[in-house]
Amino acid sequence: MKLLQYILPVTLLMATATSCNKLDLKPLDKLDGNAMFSDPQGVKLYMANLYYQLPIEDFNFMRGGFNDWIGENMVSAHFTDEAVHSNYLDFLTTGNFHWWEQGYKLIRDVNIFSDAIPQLRVSEDEKNKMRGESAFIKAYTYYALAKRYGGVSIIDSVQKYEGDVEVLKVPRSTEKETWDFVMTQCDIAIQHLPETWPGGERRATKWVAAALKTRAALHAASIAKFGDRAVLSGEAVSRKLVGIEKMYANDYYRQVIDAANLLMENGPFALYKPNPASPEEAAENYRKMFEDPSVAPEEAIFIKGFTKVDLGHNYDIYYNPAQTANGWPHPGRINPTLEFIDLFESYAQPGQSSPIRTSAAANDITDYSGFNPAKNYYRFDHPSDIFEGKDARLWGTVILPGTQWKNTEIVIQAGFIKPDGTPQIMEGNPYTHTDGKTYHVFGSSDRTQYSGFDSYGGNYTRTGFSFKKFLDQRIPVVYGYSKGLTDYIDFRYAEVLLNFAEAVVESGITDNNAVAKATAALNAIRKRAGHTQDIPLTVENVQRERRVELAFENKRFWDLMRRREYHTLFQNTIMHALLPVVDLRVTPAQYIFIRTEVPRGWRYTFDPRQYYRYIPGIGSNGLVQNPQY
Amino acid sequence: MNWMKAIVCMSGISCFMTACSLDNYEAPTSAIYGSFIDQETGELIEQDIVRGTQIEYQEGRFVANQYMVVKPDGTYRNNLLFNGVYKFTPVRGNFEPIDPVTVEITRDTKLDFQVIPFLRIKHVSIFKNGNKVKAIFRIQQTGFDNVLKVGLYAGADKAAGATVNQSAVEIPVGATVSEDQSFTIEMDIVNNPRLKKGFTYYFRVGAVIDAPEAKFNYAPAVELTL
Repeated sequence: MKLLQYILPVTLLMATATSCNKLDLKPLDKLDGNAMFSDPQGVKLYMANLYYQLPIEDFNFMRGGFNDWIGENMVSAHFTDEAVHSNYLDFLTTGNFHWWEQGYKLIRDVNIFSDAIPQLRVSEDEKNKMRGESAFIKAYTYYALAKRYGGVSIIDSVQKYEGDVEVLKVPRSTEKETWDFVMTQCDIAIQHLPETWPGGERRATKWVAAALKTRAALHAASIAKFGDRAVLSGEAVSRKLVGIEKMYANDYYRQVIDAANLLMENGPFALYKPNPASPEEAAENYRKMFEDPSVAPEEAIFIKGFTKVDLGHNYDIYYNPAQTANGWPHPGRINPTLEFIDLFESYAQPGQSSPIRTSAAANDITDYSGFNPAKNYYRFDHPSDIFEGKDARLWGTVILPGTQWKNTEIVIQAGFIKPDGTPQIMEGNPYTHTDGKTYHVFGSSDRTQYSGFDSYGGNYTRTGFSFKKFLDQRIPVVYGYSKGLTDYIDFRYAEVLLNFAEAVVESGITDNNAVAKATAALNAIRKRAGHTQDIPLTVENVQRERRVELAFENKRFWDLMRRREYHTLFQNTIMHALLPVVDLRVTPAQYIFIRTEVPRGWRYTFDPRQYYRYIPGIGSNGLVQNPQY
Repeated sequence: MNWMKAIVCMSGISCFMTACSLDNYEAPTSAIYGSFIDQETGELIEQDIVRGTQIEYQEGRFVANQYMVVKPDGTYRNNLLFNGVYKFTPVRGNFEPIDPVTVEITRDTKLDFQVIPFLRIKHVSIFKNGNKVKAIFRIQQTGFDNVLKVGLYAGADKAAGATVNQSAVEIPVGATVSEDQSFTIEMDIVNNPRLKKGFTYYFRVGAVIDAPEAKFNYAPAVELTL
């Protein structure tokens, strides 16, 4: 037995020793970096994942974040003066529009890739493309972080845990350092990325990186220039983790101008159908570009495609008017506001917004007191007549009352005025006129035959306007989540032109013929929308043009943020609606319109601390919190 | 082997039982309350309830700041605090900034803040005058900043102010003012979709200085039936 006592431990020892070697295998379900990235197919595969995670504000960008496939339908426009939601009364909360943990996950994933590049067995040319592409992804990622959180922890290579968690905690850089990091990464990307990819793959190019730089630099410049419109205080401010000093504004505007110049002078891009024959044609061209971006390769710089049913988006189901919901129970969720409609120019008065006038009264535009029997309302034969002569993009962006959509006349009616002058608006019974015709409050007795003002299900617009841009007119709504396959244009040439124009007009930079070029850019976009008269380059003209041209492209939200206009615009503020009403006091009946506050609406106030999101998890990551959280 | 099973079971159960009693903290039982008082006149400092003065407080080594809002009349109260030592700092208020105060909280603790308001709204009269509600008042400045604007606010309760109201009339000022100067603001109550005849509303006049993060100063609300 003594012998056995020794044999047993020795055998065990041997067994464990052997097993150490035997278990040290390469895992069969994972590739090492070199094998993966030395093969272009491997790079492609890895890149597909990184691009998927990229914070592109596409059709699945909702208040909860990116790639939101189901359920949520509040987009950034709902929190601005572009639109109200037909059902929800929510305003921006501190929990909305975060992107922190996913951001740092993407940073780790791209760092794994960029760290591996120097050791790869591929040509220097291939390596440079990889350097460019990883820099582009870093730039995009830090841009999305900086506009939410201000200065953040910059982590440019993979962190390794070696027993001490404290060394992994990287303190926040200043907001300026963070934006400068974005600028540097954009420059690396512009330097190394190719102008096109073989086979026309939708990957970042030199031009996409330049377009990103115009967008990011404009954000940084605006924070420097307009930061004093909403001064914050606290530790994050005194350490410059949020805010940029005013003196740097023109440095960033200069970077916008340089990057835009690169695109405008050397790039292959132009506006899609720049010379329409009529406003009607302009409206249709504009609409079609968003219905199918592949028709406009000259304008679309960077497209995110949707190719697979069930991995698509929900714009068609949620935002079609109730009449074309095709059985889907929750349509009509984006209701463009009267503020947005009022913004558009009319062709007769170029260079100024042309609010909808309902009467000749001097206070007509500001009178929201409801139907007034003594008022001489303008009368119209058809409900869309009141919008005649307004900018083509209004017709391309919004479904106006009484216009055609999917071969259906969209009925948006708030009520009627009886022959004796009694108003019956948004309530009450049908009325049978002396001519034998029965008038229904919302235009029909059948809920599938109208699209406005009924509170049932939150399916009917409460502003008098329904949403059109991006919706596909060619196909009926497909019932179910994530069936929409419309592609999304992330960067388009018109935005670059507008970024350029804004940088020139805000900075006062004039060299290299900047003012003339910016004025020409502004007017080229207007000409494409059917305008025939040029307007001068002013701050107001650029901002109006931007709001009109880029409406619902998730720009307005960030414009209000970066220009520090949010807290002034939303101070106990309610949005407004336009009620089309049938006037039976005249024969034949005609339409009148009533400007009013949004029915069942709410007043909203923006808290200046919301210019920055709160930093999640400061208890464990040890970062300095943003002001007032 | 039965006894072994029993031991395993028992130890398992006892583990759970211990965990339960450890987790079961008492609910917070302490409270803090007090007022913001004008150190010169002894009056309460009227506040905005939304975007108004806040009291930032920290307990022990808990890293995150917590906030209390102040009631429109200038008092505050929090009845759900744990016993402990807290640091209170009124922030972003409508008075000259003051230093943090560290207090040990047990049961009901009273903590008043003596402050100097940016502006005092004085000699206020608010009354119905035909189709309008009229407010006449004067402003006393305690500092040298410009007065940005003055306003008359109507609402369903005493919190009516610049950030919460049914109806508002604001007049930009953009200058320093003296107490000799009288301000008059009129609010139309007939052609006003937000105010209904026969209903009772509270009216407050306020003014704000042109300084970062400054909040409105108000006179107490006046109740009027239209």
